[in-house]
Amino acid sequence: MISADVLERPGNWRAAGIIVVLVAAVIPAAPLAVGALAVPGTLADSVSISFGRALQNSMVAALCVMGLTLLAGLPLGVLSALYEFPGRRVFLALASLPLLVPSFLWAIGWSTLAIHLGQMISAGMSGFPGSVLVFSAGAMPLVLLLSFSSAAGLPASQAEAARLAGGEWAVFRYVCRHVFPVALLAAVLGGILTLSDPGPGQILGLRTAASEILVSFAALYDFRLAGHQCILLTTLVLLVTVPLAWFAAPRVASEMLPRQSRLPQRMRLRATTALLVAGFLLVILTGTVLPLLGLTLPLAGGGMLRRASAEVGRTAGDTLVYAAGAGMTAALLGVLLAACVGRSPRGRRVCIGFCLALFALPPSLSALGLMQLAAKAPAWTDVLLRSRLTVCMALGLRFFPVAALLSLRAWGAMPSSWALAAGIHGVSLKRYVSQVALPFLLPTLAVAVLLVALLATAEVGTVLLLHPPGESSLPLAVFTVMANAPSALVASLCLLYVAGAAVLLAMLWLLTARKAL
Amino acid sequence: MIQFRLWAFLGAVALFALARSGCSSGGTSTPAVVVYTSVDDVFARPIAGRFQKETGIEVKLVPDTEETKSTGLLNRLLAEKDRPQADVFWSGDPVRPGILKKHGVTAAYQSPSAEGLPAQFSDPEHHWTGFSARARILLANTQHEVFKNAPLPSSIRDLADPRYKGKACVANPLFSTAGMHAAAIFQVMGEAEAKKFFEGLLANQTRVLSSNGEVRRRVADGEFAFGLTDTDDAAEAIRDGKPVKMIFPDEKGMGTLIVPNAAVLIARGPNTENGKRFMDYLLRPETEAALAEGEAAQMPLRPSVPVPKGVANVKELKPMNVDYAKLADILEEISKGFLKDWVDRSSK
Repeated sequence: MISADVLERPGNWRAAGIIVVLVAAVIPAAPLAVGALAVPGTLADSVSISFGRALQNSMVAALCVMGLTLLAGLPLGVLSALYEFPGRRVFLALASLPLLVPSFLWAIGWSTLAIHLGQMISAGMSGFPGSVLVFSAGAMPLVLLLSFSSAAGLPASQAEAARLAGGEWAVFRYVCRHVFPVALLAAVLGGILTLSDPGPGQILGLRTAASEILVSFAALYDFRLAGHQCILLTTLVLLVTVPLAWFAAPRVASEMLPRQSRLPQRMRLRATTALLVAGFLLVILTGTVLPLLGLTLPLAGGGMLRRASAEVGRTAGDTLVYAAGAGMTAALLGVLLAACVGRSPRGRRVCIGFCLALFALPPSLSALGLMQLAAKAPAWTDVLLRSRLTVCMALGLRFFPVAALLSLRAWGAMPSSWALAAGIHGVSLKRYVSQVALPFLLPTLAVAVLLVALLATAEVGTVLLLHPPGESSLPLAVFTVMANAPSALVASLCLLYVAGAAVLLAMLWLLTARKAL
Repeated sequence: MIQFRLWAFLGAVALFALARSGCSSGGTSTPAVVVYTSVDDVFARPIAGRFQKETGIEVKLVPDTEETKSTGLLNRLLAEKDRPQADVFWSGDPVRPGILKKHGVTAAYQSPSAEGLPAQFSDPEHHWTGFSARARILLANTQHEVFKNAPLPSSIRDLADPRYKGKACVANPLFSTAGMHAAAIFQVMGEAEAKKFFEGLLANQTRVLSSNGEVRRRVADGEFAFGLTDTDDAAEAIRDGKPVKMIFPDEKGMGTLIVPNAAVLIARGPNTENGKRFMDYLLRPETEAALAEGEAAQMPLRPSVPVPKGVANVKELKPMNVDYAKLADILEEISKGFLKDWVDRSSK
């Protein structure tokens, strides 16, 4: 029988576990990355002036996105975890919606709306400002939700102590300080996510590194050049994120005392209610309502709901499978990684740095790598490499850093004395994990599954490359009909998609988030 | 209670994903054909549906579109080369099949249904066969203020005319039919003249947009006076009631570029016989007629197929004199050199 206290003691299994999980996360990208590194001479092409400029644009845009989302997402997430206000769950669900929709669709929505609003607005929305706005709107829910979930998990005794010491302002400051490392990492994740997304830049006229990589893949068909550019981008991200990981890792999880596990009750204050409602309205307006208005303007000429419904019916099942599978894969790997890292600050630093760099890899690199693996593998591997499972795994691995971040924090917050006491009393590891650890981690797991599922739903590139023939997702269907389908059909599809997503999100929040979140 | 709900939520998600993720419909015994297509889904799906209904062979369609700005189906076909999943690639242009042919992804197949299709639009070695076509046209917004003092454009050279400075747009020529058009311009004008033409566009502040769809949207909404796009994009704007006019350029000069669809048999595909049957179906005169009558508004290449009202007749156009079999090579060469540099400079 393995004792429960093994989870709190050092051991070689930790390093082995970390290596296994991290290697699993990079395996899909390995064929193209190794192929690119094996060929000398193309590095000069990949660091051409044009790629350098694009890289600079991308980095500046990513920094702006990080700053904006942190400034708005952190206080909003903290306040909505501490205070009750009318429609809190609905607001949270609506604010999460941009995660579900691929960013280039929002870019098209903004672009269409801006044209309708006049030349000045249209010119203002093009290039850098428009791209940063669209990217920020997409990354905002990540920071908001992670700040919210982190603040909601704070022990009640600590919040009450802060309140007694300095009133509501002190509570807010204290909780913000507590949440800051996670919010910062979420903002960094959001910023890094923009580095691998070519859509908004292409549509709004900003040359980015992701666009350059896309050109290498889709116009030059030069996998090696694309591989080189991906490696350069990732190396640069790694250089930037290593100091950040060094700073954030020890602060990402502060261990609770066993008696602190009571969660705080939300208070209702008039001042915060007004602030929160105004804040959420602004986020929802810029993140969802305005671009959606741009997308659905053609509905003024009459919708095509019946045709759109048929499309939804054809693809809804697979969309849910891909989202659920990705969520479960990412959450499972995240918890496994967190268990292996335990309380080691060094392990946490390595994993956070690695996860941030991993996030910068364009999804097409992994997807094409997987396809090459599948093409070379025998037919019996198709169930693993050419099925819905492949899509689930690829999407799960793509967004695994989000789940890993959440899990590292949750695992670190678990009191070490629980496992030690269980060990002393002869409780087996299996029983401890099922009766104590997993129930404690459950809210985090649910958030991780949900967040990754949302992000995975919006990821079109991976699904396009990997989905088994005839089994596409709804977003993919929307985007493959939108080039030449009647505008009303596209608008109807977008509307059905967003409305369905909103209803699903609201139901999930109502079902699972009453007190725990 | 909350714990129970959370467990129930996670359990349900896990069960749902596990139960369905491994069981792709690929294992069914129904005869099937896998068709990758870069033709817009709304046009390809009805044809695939009719084939399925008439033959009982299930069509598994994998569509793509330029709008997604994704890595695209061509890369999927290249990556799957050793053990392809596709049987047929139905391409919206003949350049991508040319690239696939160079990489050894395609197989030669001379379909009996191809009889009557003009040979100039197909590969001489039968690796791809051209049928129903679109054309590269100028889409002009007739209500744009610039046309109060200047005539509607009639040539692609008008994109570089100072009268329209900053008022015209084109799609990124590294992608889609815009790339094919660039290659055709290089072939017809010659390298020096073509480069001069493209430099002229930059000097005239012609905007390079992300896609043909974007050109259609922005011209239709009046942001630009006119732009270079495809007939199906233009037809969509006209159907939407926008104040636009489709102009076939250079009727008195080098002519309009005709962009045929291309049917390609994939080498070593899993259902080659069904693939051939699908290609035979695609290349029939009836398919050309259906693509002309539907929303696609594509021009039949066979002289014998009737042309519906509102669809241009290839016979009445002056086509650009292009060797389609060589366009892939030209595009590959200019994409890595001049065109890439030109696009970089256009976005400064």
